[in-house]
Amino acid sequence: MFTATDEAEALEVLHQSGCTDGLPVVIPTHDRVARLVLASGLDADLDLGAMGPGGGAATIEKIATNAAMAGCLPDHMTVVVAAIRAMLQPAFDLGEMQSTTHCTAPLMIVNGPVVSHCDIAGSFGALGPGHRANASIGRAVRLCMMNIGDARPGVSDMALLGHPGKFSFCLAEDEQSSPWEPLAVALGYSSDDSVVTILGAEAPHSVVFTNDADDNDSPQRLLRALAAVIANTGSNNANLSGGAVAVALNPEHAQVLADAGMSRSDVQAELQRMAVNTRGQIRSFNTGFIAAGNDDDIIPAVRRPADIVLFVAGGAGLYSAVFPSWAAGAHRNTVVHEVVATGAACELPWA
Amino acid sequence: MRDGIEVARRGRAAVALVTEQFWLQGDSVAASAGMPDIPRLRLPHPVAGSGHDAMDRVADGIAARIVAVLRGEAVPDNEPSSAP
Repeated sequence: MFTATDEAEALEVLHQSGCTDGLPVVIPTHDRVARLVLASGLDADLDLGAMGPGGGAATIEKIATNAAMAGCLPDHMTVVVAAIRAMLQPAFDLGEMQSTTHCTAPLMIVNGPVVSHCDIAGSFGALGPGHRANASIGRAVRLCMMNIGDARPGVSDMALLGHPGKFSFCLAEDEQSSPWEPLAVALGYSSDDSVVTILGAEAPHSVVFTNDADDNDSPQRLLRALAAVIANTGSNNANLSGGAVAVALNPEHAQVLADAGMSRSDVQAELQRMAVNTRGQIRSFNTGFIAAGNDDDIIPAVRRPADIVLFVAGGAGLYSAVFPSWAAGAHRNTVVHEVVATGAACELPWA
Repeated sequence: MRDGIEVARRGRAAVALVTEQFWLQGDSVAASAGMPDIPRLRLPHPVAGSGHDAMDRVADGIAARIVAVLRGEAVPDNEPSSAP
């Protein structure tokens, strides 16, 4: 508990105590925190688990404190809680992910009714500035990782450079513009469920593609363009041959593939098949990871189609994006997901 | 670090080897694992990828100290020296 005579002094105390991400924060007064705890519908003392690498207890009150600092509205709280629950799944290897020298950060993709209720953007500039819910929810998760998980740059968060998504990295799938079922439905949830899907990922790598309706090869060209970026030889996926990747198709690109008769799973399967290098190609860049073998062996960047998190987001146009991952840790950078829990005690209107 | 901590938890003498760049992280991991005082020795950075000859030199330079710390005959780098 910190004390200060006014909010200006409190902000300085928080900065000096290492509790901020370097930007000004909303002062987490008792009333502000209590309001967010109330919105969660959960007990303040409920402990969701130990956050690595420091092992701090992720209680609802601590999460609310960080959400308050991040500028979250009460309605954002259940999404933040779901994200923390997801990251605390053992398969996510949060402690290891926070400690690695790689530039990974948790990319949060939100589906379901909570998207429109909280106004989480999934279209133009969804990962950029100007979207309050995206910025606040993602920032709240990062502040929890720092203040509860004790991830400190150069001390316990050893990312050599990091990337701007380590401030906030949250967006919605643009379900309205997608030709396919929502990502969460593809993962087995109901379309009535709100779900947060999380992958530890690099910053988006842009993939430019020009469609030509008169060119029957257009869908294949798009797949080749995406696969080439998934298999880029600078990525951990290519060098370690595994882990997951996320692919954000803009609605126009998604429609090109859907018009070619491809389902989401068809696209995942094709990208997994096409995103490959030869052992010799990999060894020509890095010798430290790739196992010995024939230079002509085909080395996939992703082992299973399901490890390609394919979703529709961004404005319609020339650019889609690929998010490579760390591809390491005990579970090789597994994708996790969690329902945004609503209930009788929660304020969200569809509960 | 965590390997050393795991060995120490089993009641065996342990010393963790930590390169210069990760020294502060070693402190952090040791504290979060509940063994802030686990003995650690400092290595130059980097060791990995520095070549066999360089790694041999590092190993030759540290081996005797590792044994001495394990035997309790030397002070690890994370403890203040007992020398006057």
